[in-house]
Amino acid sequence: MYKKIIIPLILISGVYADDDRWGNRGDVAPVKNAIYAKECGSCHFAYQPGLLPQRSWTKMMGNLENHFGSDASLDDATTKYLANYLKSNSAERGIEYKRSRKILQSIRPNETPLRITKTRYFVNKHNEIPKKMIVQKAVGSLANCAACHTTANKGSYSERAIKIPNYGMWEDD
Amino acid sequence: MKKYTLAMLLCGVLANAGGFSPSIQSYIATLKSEAKQANSSFVDFNAKRGEQIFTSKHIGKKGDSISCTSCHGNNLTKNGQNATTNKIIKPLAPSVNKSRLTDTKEVQKWLRRNFKDVYNREGTALEKGDVLYYIQSK
Ligand code: HEC
Ligand code: HEC
Ligand code: HEC
Repeated sequence: MYKKIIIPLILISGVYADDDRWGNRGDVAPVKNAIYAKECGSCHFAYQPGLLPQRSWTKMMGNLENHFGSDASLDDATTKYLANYLKSNSAERGIEYKRSRKILQSIRPNETPLRITKTRYFVNKHNEIPKKMIVQKAVGSLANCAACHTTANKGSYSERAIKIPNYGMWEDD
Repeated sequence: MKKYTLAMLLCGVLANAGGFSPSIQSYIATLKSEAKQANSSFVDFNAKRGEQIFTSKHIGKKGDSISCTSCHGNNLTKNGQNATTNKIIKPLAPSVNKSRLTDTKEVQKWLRRNFKDVYNREGTALEKGDVLYYIQSK
């Protein structure tokens, strides 16, 4: 009974795998979980779960003691809780959000990136920024999203809201 | 009965000599008994030793030279900046940041992580107590 309906639906979604037909809900779903915001936002910007696929988060949460050279370990209950939150809000779960979809499409099925900043989509979007704007103290690295994207905490990465510290608004030409 | 209450009060005042918040006081007491177990001649923690622990450089988890001040700065009443992520860190000094050293779980979590990052191992009870005395004095 249900099969008949679901198969055509999947086919249709394939056809409409094009930007705007999806009904864009914005760039990426904002973080609304206070525990995530606190625990994963203490050392750096609390990256939206929709910026990486499920398998990336699962891998990351399996080794918080060695987290990009830092110890980010948590007690077991909190680790489990956050792993679950990340899984159920990963890019696959936010396919109606434009950036989640684009990032996902830029990752090959056999890849499990741990860095958003190493995904092809991200690299392509940021390869024109002069190095001096990135390495300065107020930014440090491209992982510091909120330093340049003034509305990053709302899940909005719009070009109009980019202001690079000490260099001003970003003019694309 | 009255005498007993008085004695309790007095104990409270003495235990609070360092000015720690109530929840941290019991953590300090636990660290003290651990330090005493490790070394029977242990008397009390010491902020001066804590300062040495906080400001000295070590080869950390990443293999680079790092100290607690790399992220928290040399003046604990001022903002610090995370040496690896460049995010601003609010002051550690309880005198200017009332939320510091008020939640034992939080303090234990950060001491575990931060000692690993700087010393590439967990801190001993003596080191943790000393460094908490140092931070509390700021
Ligand atoms: C103790 C500090 C600390 C905590 C807590 C922490 N991280 Fe990180 N995280 C880091 C560091 C350091 C880096 C590497 C930064 C760099 O190299 O620029 C990093 C990098 C990342 C990156 C990659 C950024 C990029 O380059 O695209 C992701 C994703 C990430 N963290 C997710 C998380 C999540 C999810 C949590 C919560 C479970 C968390 N972090 C908690 C320290 C931390
Ligand atoms: C040094 C400043 C800087 C940092 C840090 C930075 N970005 Fe960007 N980002 C830019 C600029 C500039 C652009 C616009 C590039 C262009 O199109 O010319 C951009 C574009 C984007 C876009 C595409 C927007 C669009 O309208 O096409 C997304 C999505 C994005 N960034 C996400 C992120 C995320 C997520 C992070 C952190 C992991 C991050 N950025 C870190 C400067 C930065
Ligand atoms: C790599 C950066 C980094 C280093 C190095 C570092 N810390 Fe921290 N520390 C942090 C961050 C980030 C927090 C949490 C930030 C916040 O709460 O604003 C923190 C929090 C703390 C807290 C929790 C205070 C409270 O009650 O909120 C204590 C205590 C502390 N650090 C002590 C130390 C000691 C001792 C060392 C050296 C062994 C050290 N830190 C080294 C980054 C660092």
